[in-house]
Amino acid sequence: MTISAERPTDVVTTPPSINGAVRRGGWFSQHLGTALVAAIVGYLFGHWLGNHVAGNYPVVVNSGVNDVANFFGLLFGVIGWLLGIGALNYPLAKIAGRSGIEKTQDVEGFSKYFRYSTDHKTVGLQYVIGVCLFMFTGGLLAMAIRTELLNPTIHVFSPGTYIEIVSEHGTIMMMMATSIVLGPLGNYLVPLMIGSRRMAFPRIEAFSFWIFTAGYMVIFSALPYGGFPTGWTGYAPLQNQAGPGMISYLFGFAVIGLGMMTAGFNIAVTIVNYRAPGLTWSRVPMFVWSILATAALLTLATPVLFSAGLFGILDRVDQTAFYVAEHGGSSYLWENLFWFFGHPEVYIMALPAFGIVAEILPVFCRKPLFAQKVGAAGMIGVALLSFFVWQHHIFQSGINPDMRPLFMLTTELISIPTGFIFLVGMGTLYKAKIRYELPMLFSLALFFNFLIGGLTGVFLSDVPVNVTVHGGFFVLSHFHYTIMGGLLFAFMAGLYYWLPKMTGLMLNKKIGLWQFWLMFVFFNLTFFPMFIIGLLGQPRRVYTYAKNLQGLNDFSSISAFILGFSFLIFAWNLAYSWFIKPQKAPANPWDSLGLEWQTATPVPEHNFDRIPVIMTDPYHYSEPGAQALADLGGVGSSTGNPA
Amino acid sequence: MTDTYNKPGVMSNTPEEVEFELRAHIGSIWTGGRLFIGMYTFMIAALAFSYFYLRSSNNSMEWRPNHVTAPTAYGWAIYGCTAAMSLLAIFGQSRLRKGQVADWLVAGWTAVGIGLLALFLQLWEFVALPFYPGSSGYASTFIGFGVMNVITLFVTTYWLETSVARAHAMKREFGAGAVLAKTAEARSWRANVASMTYFQGFAVLVATMLLLMFYVL
Repeated sequence: MTISAERPTDVVTTPPSINGAVRRGGWFSQHLGTALVAAIVGYLFGHWLGNHVAGNYPVVVNSGVNDVANFFGLLFGVIGWLLGIGALNYPLAKIAGRSGIEKTQDVEGFSKYFRYSTDHKTVGLQYVIGVCLFMFTGGLLAMAIRTELLNPTIHVFSPGTYIEIVSEHGTIMMMMATSIVLGPLGNYLVPLMIGSRRMAFPRIEAFSFWIFTAGYMVIFSALPYGGFPTGWTGYAPLQNQAGPGMISYLFGFAVIGLGMMTAGFNIAVTIVNYRAPGLTWSRVPMFVWSILATAALLTLATPVLFSAGLFGILDRVDQTAFYVAEHGGSSYLWENLFWFFGHPEVYIMALPAFGIVAEILPVFCRKPLFAQKVGAAGMIGVALLSFFVWQHHIFQSGINPDMRPLFMLTTELISIPTGFIFLVGMGTLYKAKIRYELPMLFSLALFFNFLIGGLTGVFLSDVPVNVTVHGGFFVLSHFHYTIMGGLLFAFMAGLYYWLPKMTGLMLNKKIGLWQFWLMFVFFNLTFFPMFIIGLLGQPRRVYTYAKNLQGLNDFSSISAFILGFSFLIFAWNLAYSWFIKPQKAPANPWDSLGLEWQTATPVPEHNFDRIPVIMTDPYHYSEPGAQALADLGGVGSSTGNPA
Repeated sequence: MTDTYNKPGVMSNTPEEVEFELRAHIGSIWTGGRLFIGMYTFMIAALAFSYFYLRSSNNSMEWRPNHVTAPTAYGWAIYGCTAAMSLLAIFGQSRLRKGQVADWLVAGWTAVGIGLLALFLQLWEFVALPFYPGSSGYASTFIGFGVMNVITLFVTTYWLETSVARAHAMKREFGAGAVLAKTAEARSWRANVASMTYFQGFAVLVATMLLLMFYVL
């Protein structure tokens, strides 16, 4: 069955999928406030239950730490949070036989952003605020780290507090980064880009956001518990020896892992099944390809992290010995399980960034995307190979030396599909008449930064270099260049590019230019010296260093403060452009051919009045006479080619 | 730059569009069921990797001192229940395809009961273990397996129960023939039952593998 271009004209005003819709609203309905109250009640109940169950266990009496109570507190807190926001209403109602295709109609108005919404656009905007909150708190911790490193002898924090700050910063940022594109932009834009009126599983989509926020709070709960000293990697046996904050780390990872799995699951299923008629795989936009590859990685790699976290929790709560070598376990088991997830995670962060810039480049170059299919193949190649490289993280710690060349080879192999994607970008830029708008500037910055991050990555994959610089600032700088220099710059490009569509308001260009130049210049001034610091021997996660490195560290710290300031400028831009002096965005401010720009602004609840019929890919810029992208169904509504 | 605002119109609902969306919905249930199996596989693979990693490492000679084993009677009983639940679900679906709704309902409710029994046995086994959780590598991985099995049994039983309950609700709301009708509601439900049954079949394969690992080897 296909939808033909010749369309019948009958039109109804009621969406067919809303059967027996229930409109929720008012102070006594479920919202953020009730979720907070239920989470607190759940936490208190769980803590009491844990003390009741395990308060007299010898291990608890002897150590004075009741991990059972801490874990139960967090577990019931999360359950309370989900109950309070309404995430469990439908799963509970299903037990009594409620229909699977009924849809709960969302509350209208601003308060919908504080509720369990099943509209992908609302969830996308909820994610924007959620990840920005994540990023802001992680960024504050980064400022604390750089403050401590201003002087090797005069200390702001104790060694223990410093490593707790480093650990919390790393964990927060890594968890935030896994969802920073897929959450806000993936959820909002994918249905619009594939011509769909909905997500495949809207309740699962909403669940993914609210469990993500629960995970954020669980990871932050480590601080009042005294933090955790392991860094974001949580290595055993330190994991088993750490204080009660370790429970927050392990459980937080499991909870956020659940959010990542569900988010990836829903988006992957949506892309496979809800593409509009005519949107063949060769016509699928690059951003959608990147999100599909990311979603596949999320759904398949994250369950391993979930299991690893579960085993860690059992070690602490039930006294099993998964990671305790003296009792038949192995600390290397954690390393293997963690990195089996952890390395695909790197590409979970990198691929959406490439997807964003691949979408933006043709628009501002006014050229077709160069070698689109090669780029898509590169994304699939990176996703597949990412499952076969994890052991390069443990070259120093437990891997059979004979295995090193194999994993060195697989790691170097992955630079080939990555290179495909890079060349797609370079080919598009070649001989282009570039419009230097903000999204384009951030995209160009990504190529500059990622080139440095990628090239140093090739060196790091070589065992001899890896042995020399492992555990130092060289590695730290490398992954900040790839993740922050790549992903975060792409995220900013995506926000400046798509927020006008998402909010109907333009962001201020002048303020944006200040942010861009400060961010780009001081990002490089912060992290490039760290390559030198690392080569000179400064290790990660240590609160002091050799006196002769103070000059470079101070330079890096001061640059980091200005880099942090650039994010405040972004926050100011949001406040200024949304509340102080809002400027209405044109329907298609960048003259993009993308399908997401062809529907009405603001986007109606049903996205498209009629399901569009796609006729070509969205990159035929400056091609006179090129076929229109899609038939949107109305008279003369085929989207033309603005050339 | 386009400087005009598009005006949102009304949503059309042609028969072609309704059919397209229904097919996408049913396809989503099919794809989702298979992807769920993929997720479950990787979760179980982490357990299997742990089992064989610790077994081959045998750190401190503490993989499995004295070849201690979890109670095999419980193990076989839980496995029997899991297998029976899956087989009943598969049998029920085959009868449903032949239009025997009553057979499906009886098989479904029986399978739900057996699933709950398996869940109870798995929980009860934890208090009947002849070893402490951290006494060996085997003991640790067994506890991990037990917890994962609780999650698996809970999910499969929940999925089965909600399918059967929905069949009853449909009969109540739309009449006796509702389950086999060509309505969107019924087609969606049958797709869900098919995915659920497929997962049940996969779950029993996994249960067989884990039975061999933890009770037989």
